Amino acid sequence: MSALELQGVTVSRGAGPVISDVSLSVASGAVTAIVGPNGAGKTSLLESISGIVRPSAGTISLDGEDLTRAARGKRARAGIVHVEQGRAIFPSLTVRENLALTARTQAGIDEVLAMFPELEKRLSSPSALLSGGEQQMVVLGRAFAAKPKILLIDEMSLGLAPVVFLRLLPIVSHIASTGVGVLLVEQFAHLALGIAQDALVVSSGRVSYSGPAAPLAGDEAKLRSAYLG
Amino acid sequence: MLQGAIAGLAIGGVYAIIAVCMTLMAQLVRVINFAQAGIGMFGAFLAASLAQSLRMPVPVGLLIGLVTGIALSVLIGLITQRWLPEASVSARSAVTVGALLLLVSLSFILFGTRPMTFAPIVSGTAFAVGGVVVSQVTIVMVALAALVSGGAWLLLAKTTVGTKLRAIADRPVAAELIGIPVTSLTIGVWAASGLIVTVVVMIVAPTQTSDATSLSMLVIPASAAALLGAFKRLGLALVGGLLLGVIQGAVSQLPELMLVRDWIPLVLIVLFLLWNQRKEVWDAAR
Amino acid sequence: MPRASHPVTDAVPVAPAPRPALRGPSRVWVPAAVGVAGILVGVVVSLVLPSSLTFLAITSVIAMISLIGLGIVTGTAGMIVLSQLTFAAVGAWIVAWFNQIGVPGGFLLHLVVGALAAGAAGLLLGLPALRLRGVNLAVVTLGFAAAADLTLGKTQFPGTAAGLRIPRPAPFADDRGYFVLAVVVLVAVAVTVHYLQRSRLGSSWRAVAFSERGTAAVGSDVRTAKLTAFAVSAMIAGVAGGLIAGQVGTPQATSFTTLQSLALYVLSIVSGAHLIEMAVFGGILWVLIPELLKRFGVPQDWGFVIFGVLGIQALTTGSNLGQDIRGAIAKRRRRRSPAPESGLVPFTDAELGALGSVSVSHGEPVLELQDVSVSFGHVKALQHVDLVLRAGEIRGLIGPNGAGKSTLVDAVSGFLPQHDGAVSLAGSPLAGLAPDRRARLGLRRTFQQDRVPPSLTVGDYVRFVAHGGASEAEIASALEFFGCPPASARIADVDVGTRRVVEVAANLLAKPRVLVLDEPAAGLSHDEHIAFGQRLRRIPERFAAAVLIIEHDLDLVRAVCHSATVLNFGEVLATGTVDEVLANPEVSKAYMGEAELL
Repeated sequence: MSALELQGVTVSRGAGPVISDVSLSVASGAVTAIVGPNGAGKTSLLESISGIVRPSAGTISLDGEDLTRAARGKRARAGIVHVEQGRAIFPSLTVRENLALTARTQAGIDEVLAMFPELEKRLSSPSALLSGGEQQMVVLGRAFAAKPKILLIDEMSLGLAPVVFLRLLPIVSHIASTGVGVLLVEQFAHLALGIAQDALVVSSGRVSYSGPAAPLAGDEAKLRSAYLG
Repeated sequence: MLQGAIAGLAIGGVYAIIAVCMTLMAQLVRVINFAQAGIGMFGAFLAASLAQSLRMPVPVGLLIGLVTGIALSVLIGLITQRWLPEASVSARSAVTVGALLLLVSLSFILFGTRPMTFAPIVSGTAFAVGGVVVSQVTIVMVALAALVSGGAWLLLAKTTVGTKLRAIADRPVAAELIGIPVTSLTIGVWAASGLIVTVVVMIVAPTQTSDATSLSMLVIPASAAALLGAFKRLGLALVGGLLLGVIQGAVSQLPELMLVRDWIPLVLIVLFLLWNQRKEVWDAAR
Repeated sequence: MPRASHPVTDAVPVAPAPRPALRGPSRVWVPAAVGVAGILVGVVVSLVLPSSLTFLAITSVIAMISLIGLGIVTGTAGMIVLSQLTFAAVGAWIVAWFNQIGVPGGFLLHLVVGALAAGAAGLLLGLPALRLRGVNLAVVTLGFAAAADLTLGKTQFPGTAAGLRIPRPAPFADDRGYFVLAVVVLVAVAVTVHYLQRSRLGSSWRAVAFSERGTAAVGSDVRTAKLTAFAVSAMIAGVAGGLIAGQVGTPQATSFTTLQSLALYVLSIVSGAHLIEMAVFGGILWVLIPELLKRFGVPQDWGFVIFGVLGIQALTTGSNLGQDIRGAIAKRRRRRSPAPESGLVPFTDAELGALGSVSVSHGEPVLELQDVSVSFGHVKALQHVDLVLRAGEIRGLIGPNGAGKSTLVDAVSGFLPQHDGAVSLAGSPLAGLAPDRRARLGLRRTFQQDRVPPSLTVGDYVRFVAHGGASEAEIASALEFFGCPPASARIADVDVGTRRVVEVAANLLAKPRVLVLDEPAAGLSHDEHIAFGQRLRRIPERFAAAVLIIEHDLDLVRAVCHSATVLNFGEVLATGTVDEVLANPEVSKAYMGEAELL
């Protein structure tokens, strides 16, 4: 049972804090959805966990080990994998090469292909030529093949057709069920809440709700006020 | 003129190898390494100086020079990675300009300002065909050029390390986030280029005008060759280097064009830049 | 239709924060006076200096001139130039040649022509490298320097073979006199460069070093900015070269080597030569360090080693001596007088009364998008977008993240040359026009990222952006209206959120037909949001511009916009008045992600 623990994390950018005082806990096998209207806060939070930026306050720990000041490589090897916004594929590498970076063995690649059979016939294509949905599959598959303890997913839906996003959501659930703790940042609240056990609502840089996902999914008024004001 | 062209193949091979190294560095570690040839020069001069002044056996001197070349390259790489990991190519390349100044001046202090005498590693004629003489150095250089560019291509295209390097070239941060050891691999690239260039300069120095500045300025025709491939394509860097050497060699046979020969690299640089920038592209960084 | 009072904009009256007193305009004649004083100092020094040091002093002054030139390109315009002394050689060559063939006019005239020739060489050399990254200019200039080195080594300067010496002008014939001449030329160059730096041209140099996109978006051609910086720098080097020719009488290749050009470049970085006083200091270092080494019996090559080490140190830390000294002075100034309070506060009731109610009227179309589509490879970022913006209208462009809003703005402002469909401004098609051209035609845009160069003052930046379209009074009035810091404030002292408000005010002063704002309120506090919204509402009536705003803050959209267009997955989902659009169930589904099940 791994746990990612955040205590009082604040991330600042230039002018001031973009997200303040976030405390949450992600256990392995659970999906935590972070929803809320657009603003740099949610992405910055994930970036502080994976080490792209440093939090200006608070602590981050994985399985009791304090990673607040750790380098990115150390966090990655400790088991925190970040699927960044905008599909960070390596464009000059083929699909197979992208997957091989984390999969190491053919068995690992086969596992990913089992999740995404569509990629089978695209294995030798340079990943820059894939459609948005296929690229997102490659990125998710590559992340899964790294056998992470914690998986951070940032706005997977961005620029994807709805049907593709619906294809990917159950995969995220499946990944969680293999024992990975998933932190899913999404602006499309209902769909994200549908697969989450816990949820956070962030608006204007502050957490306005933190708790189980189910009651929130049914509370239309609360969601509406967070998004549309 | 044909003799001149063939003779030019030797130096063309040098241009090609340095151009390939510069292209690899531009792609993999995001630096235009102005000190590329200077590093090789320093290692070669150290080896020659050890053999000359300290009467060390030549192979030992060569080994020490080689290790020094690698160490210098690694040092510059470490400085660049430690303090400018996410800076622009221009900022990172400016550091190599400082390094170039340092290396040439240091070499004046340690090894004097007069041209050095080098014990040739490779020398003599390989064969002659119809009145045209082909030297050993020419054969070795062209072979090395093919070996280095072919080897680089193979490494990048067919090995795990190569895939990781290409991933770093595409997106260094994303590579870090999936656990690729970016710093170690980057320093590895610096070390490899230091090794290759030092070997090349050691072989070619005995046949050239061998003062510190001239050897360090090999970086310019190498840049012209690399620009043929826009600092991206290894094959074009190889071709560009060999071609430039051949053209220079042919031109130097005509005494009227003696001054022109020195300006050929600049003309090519200008032409290739004009060609490379014909399409206006606003990338996000600007 | 009269606007009902809105709880967000017509806020509870708040006592206005004390506005910082507007500092007077900087006195224009000060640099000229400093220059005259400099000449006087030079004359005194020439009389007092021991004769053994006079020649060195001349070398130092000439180095100062070269460094001032380098400072323009390396410091101000952010480029790498490794051939400064080669341009100097061009100047020296012309002076020697004119002397050899007997061109009338004397040394000073030859000097000027030499400078012009060097400038022309700079223009030719700079042209190929301008559209690409700055490091390509380094390759070109190094190539130029090395080729010239070889040629100069094989030939000689005109007249050297015949033993001709370049005559110095009569009153400056001896070394002391020539030193005074060098000082006079230095002062002339320094004063000229100072005024250039403060002019539009200098602002364009600073802007281009900070952000090329930002420079183009405010109507300034990026290539012209870089080319002029490079040509001026080369010209100044030509002046220095001519002086070297007069100093030594028979110029030699050894004065103009590549290695010395590299050392000069590094020295300009270390000293921060874009500041004229630091260029002077650098010139002193240029002779002082080798002299000290000579006194201590150390080989003079260690001088360049020291420069190299200092250079690497300066480049890796991104700072230089000039910046460090000015930073220390600024820190002490900040400790003594605190930063000005933000002037962007909501209007009081009295102020609102004085301004009157907002008049809303829509006229002819000023911006039309017809069937605009953008694809990045497989990804369709925009699909068949139609949009009409009328004069006097404030339109919100809203939609979930990734819907294509920024892509639309980039296409409209010219940063995506390849797109399908047509964009026209007040009836004229914009197809094929570069961003700076569109900006000059009256289509202005701001950026989500901070693209306001911190090295300018607020006033210099605003004047640069306004492209001469606004008087000083209009500038002061607009800055006050938006609660911006005064014109004399340095942008480096202003926080990022306020900088972007300055960006908005500056673009409005260019009197554009259309202003496109990309999340202008990001980085502002809650109160500032409200205050900013109040200002935005009055833009059409006050500045005669139609506005298109990308915003995520729907409160701001409700308060400010007359109408809204919703983008979703690159397509227009809805368009109409703000209330209509936000009440549309399709729109809230789009934001919150109720995808149709297929």
